[in-house]
Order: sequence, then structure tokens, then C-alpha cells
Amino acid sequence: MDILQVKNLSKKFRVKNKKDFIAVDSISFSLKEGEILGFLGPNGAGKTTTIQMLLGVLTPTKGEVSYFGKNLKDYREEILEQVNFSSTYTNLPWRLTIRENLIYLSYLYNVKDRQKRLKKLVDIFHLDNLINMQISQLSAGQLTRVNLAKAFLNFPKVLLLDEPTASLDPDVAEYIRKFLINEQRQFKTSIVFTSHNMAEVEEVCDRVIFINKGKIVADDTPEKLAKTIEICHVELIIKDGLKRTIEYCQNHGYQYKLSGRNIIVDVKEKEIAEFLRGLMDKGVYYDGISIEKPTLEDYFLQNL
Amino acid sequence: MKINRIYAIVIKIMYSFTHSYDRIADAFYWPTMDLLLWGLTSTYFKTTAAGNSKIIMVIVSGILLWIIVWRGQFEITVNLLEDLWDRNLINIFATPLKFSEWITAFIIVGLIKAALSLLFAIGMAYLLYQTNLFVLGFNLIPFIFLLILTGWWAGFFIAGVILRFGSKVQTFAWGMIYLISPFSAIYYPVATLPAWAQKISLIVPTSYVFEGAREMIGKGILDYRKLLISLALNIFYLILALIFLRKSFDKVLDKGLVKVF
Repeated sequence: MDILQVKNLSKKFRVKNKKDFIAVDSISFSLKEGEILGFLGPNGAGKTTTIQMLLGVLTPTKGEVSYFGKNLKDYREEILEQVNFSSTYTNLPWRLTIRENLIYLSYLYNVKDRQKRLKKLVDIFHLDNLINMQISQLSAGQLTRVNLAKAFLNFPKVLLLDEPTASLDPDVAEYIRKFLINEQRQFKTSIVFTSHNMAEVEEVCDRVIFINKGKIVADDTPEKLAKTIEICHVELIIKDGLKRTIEYCQNHGYQYKLSGRNIIVDVKEKEIAEFLRGLMDKGVYYDGISIEKPTLEDYFLQNL
Repeated sequence: MKINRIYAIVIKIMYSFTHSYDRIADAFYWPTMDLLLWGLTSTYFKTTAAGNSKIIMVIVSGILLWIIVWRGQFEITVNLLEDLWDRNLINIFATPLKFSEWITAFIIVGLIKAALSLLFAIGMAYLLYQTNLFVLGFNLIPFIFLLILTGWWAGFFIAGVILRFGSKVQTFAWGMIYLISPFSAIYYPVATLPAWAQKISLIVPTSYVFEGAREMIGKGILDYRKLLISLALNIFYLILALIFLRKSFDKVLDKGLVKVF
């Protein structure tokens, strides 16, 4: 079942004395119940503009956003009670403490059993020692955790998470990723997820949409998108014949990166055997080899 | 409208108020300073202007009643500004909160803080000058009501301007209401104004209230005609200000709330 449906959504901004700027150009996609959808693209691609329209804080020029089969424009209140978000481009009131922020927001969402919910979120996001601190006193990582706690306040059915693990220590980021996957499995929460960390997207997302210059350029699973890239990274630790290896790469048009005696060569998967045989023929000896298959990052770098 | 959502915004503002020395100063320090400056000036006038024994009462009641207009307007615009400074508009409008609930919360906070500031200032006036605004009795109610209306429409209009142009015009939150103060006849009768200023005061609803209050203090007469003109003008401006504010908000939604600060 589609929880979120976006149809021909466009946003055009007027620019004084210039041609109108089309930030989002007639995009359509859907989000299934319990699905985590990566929404990716380079800076200025239209991600933030789209998310703002999905939250109803930016009026689309054209198109329609529907949640649970209902139009956001006509059922705004009912829908937004079941949606939440976390973003790096908004702040919580900096004079208020974490507790005060969560309390006032819990009234906005009419959260039942308020104290119990707050305690649970404080435990999940390890905010116990910070709860009475003002937002202005928090570090970037602590703020990210508060924003996530805020995002889960109303037991959302749909979550829009913009860079949810930005500024977090690796162990905390890993904990958050596991928590998101658990929420998805346990409560069938549907999540739209943006991140610049492609490894994270591959770990968390069921499906990925790439957006560029306001248009959707790809919509598939991370694995299938990565598979469209033929190039693998072959890393060799050269024992003897580094110069010959470089010459071989140059003569055959292989891209490479050199670091001491380590060389990483970009080779098409089906040409790896031929490449290694070619090096052997040139009398190159290597101590170690690792072959890295194409990733979502490779897709991103090659296509966007 | 949902009570829980209005309450949410009210407590958010009150939390902010308790953490903010400048907001506390706004509520109590400036009314005290006005009372000291103008009260002492009128005490001096009393010693020089023979036969005008009510001058302190007239000036002090002017200060006290102006607090209602000022706080009503100030709360609406400064609370909006706080959301702009905090870049918090998206956080609150990505919730089910309705525009009308947001505005209602501002009005409620304005009323609470106006009552706090006014009661504090009335107490100060009594202590400093033995002047008691409550001598106006129940007649005070229509005066206060009309001044609250003025504070609201002024607040809505200025909030609309700030929404359109952002915090770069934030000075309007503190200063714009004073545009109508010279024509409001707070401390002096409209008749003492130059002819051009008298024409302007005809369309300023507060001028009828302050004239009426002065007549009550001086002659003990309540001129209902003046109050009705003030009411009609206030309602007219209130409707215009609300339309302007709503249109400003729609314009902001067209630009995106993330771009308003």
C-alpha cells in the first residue's frame, strides 16, 4: 500500500530580473508502508525543496502530495498528526531546554501519555543528562539526537529525515541506523531518508531515488543501481614492477590512483582477469590484492 | 481550532519568557521608566500650572492605558520574531498547527502579559503618585477593550510586514506603533494639535479612547459616540490587518518557510 504519493510535483521560484528558477520539475514517486526510501542528489538538486513541499511548508507550483490516500492540501491537520521530520536546516528554540521543547511539541501533536513518551525518547536517544540544558548549550551531535527524539515524538507513520546522522560519532550513528531499521520493522514506519553518506544509504534504504536539477534520474534498489556501474576498484600492493604497472595502465587507458607502493586501478569487472594477466606478462609481482565492487557512491560520482 | 495546539504555543512563549531577561525587562522595566519620567514631569507641571490638580492623573492614566496598546502589538510581533530568529517556523508549521491557532496563542499571551504589565504599572503608579486608575470603575472596560483591539491590528499589520521582509525590518516591532502615538492624544487633547495632525487623529481609533478617558477623569462624562467611532475604526483596521497578515503568510509559504529569517 502506498503511504505517500507524489504526482507531477513542481516548484518554480521567481528570480528578480532573471528567468524563473525551476527547483523541482514534475517529479512523481511513491513510498510504501514500512519502506525506507533514500532521496539523494547533489547540493541544489531539489531535495530540500521537495521535502518542504512534502511537509506542507512550501506551496508547490504544480502537482499533488497525498498521504494515506488523502490530499495534503485538504487534509493537512489529519495528515501532519501522523508525519514528522528531522532536519539540519531548522533549529529548535535555543532558549528553551530539551524538556521544554519536547513538552510544547508534544502538545502540538496531542501526544497521549506525554510523560511516558518523553521518558522513552530520552532513554532511546541518551538525553537523560542533557534534558534540562538549553538548546543553545548543546553540541551539533547532541542537537541531532534531540531533533531525532522530536521526530519520533508522535509515533509517526511517515518520517522525513534529512541527514539524520550528520555530526554524530560513528558508534552513535550506527546505533541510530539500527534504531531506524528496528522502527521500520516493528511499527512499519515509512521513512524518506537523505544523506551524503552512500554507505549508510546502502545499509538502511530499501529503495533509492536520485534527483538532479529538479528531475528524478534514477529510482531503484541500491544494489541494482550500483550494478549499473561496470567499473571495479582493484587495489594492488606492488612488490616489484611499479613503474611497469603505471605504464601498463597508461597504455591501456586505465584510471589509477597511486599511494606509495599501493595502486588502485579502475577496471571493468569483466576485464579484471585480463588486466591481472597483462600485469603478470609484464613481470609485475604484488603482495596483496583487493577488489572492491561498484557501490552507490560510484553510481553517484559517475552519474551526478 | 484545537485547544492543545494553542496551549502548546502559549507555553512555548512562556518558557521563553522565563529564560529571557530582555523579555522580562520589556514587561516591567520600561513601564516603570515611563512612569518615573512622565510622572515626575507631571508632578513638576502641577507645581507650575495653577488650578490643574488632575494633571498627574491624566498623564499617568495615559501611560497606563498606552501599555495595553503597546503590549498587545509588541507580543504579537516579538513572538513572531523569536520564531524567525530561532528558524523555528518550519518546526511549528510542519505540525498540525493552524495559522489561526498560532495567532490565537499570540493574542492570549498578549492579554496575559498586558495584564501583568498593567497591574504592575497600576501598583507602581499608586505607590509613586497615589494615582488609582480604578477610579474609572467599570468604564475602564470599554477603554481597555478598544485599546486591546488597536494593539492587535497594529501587531497583525507589523507581523505581516515582518513576514514579507524578514528580520531586516525587525525594528518595526519596537517602533512602528509609535507612529500613531502623537495622533492618539495620549497626554494632551486633540484640540491642541496642529490642524493637519487633528485630521490624522480623526482616523486614529486610540485618539477617541484617550479623549474619552480624559473627559471621564476631568468631567466624569462618558461619551459613547467617541467609543463607537473608535470601535468602528478598530474593526475596520482589524479586518484589513488580518487579510494582510494571511496574504503575507501565503506569500511566505510560496517562498518557503525555510527562507524566512
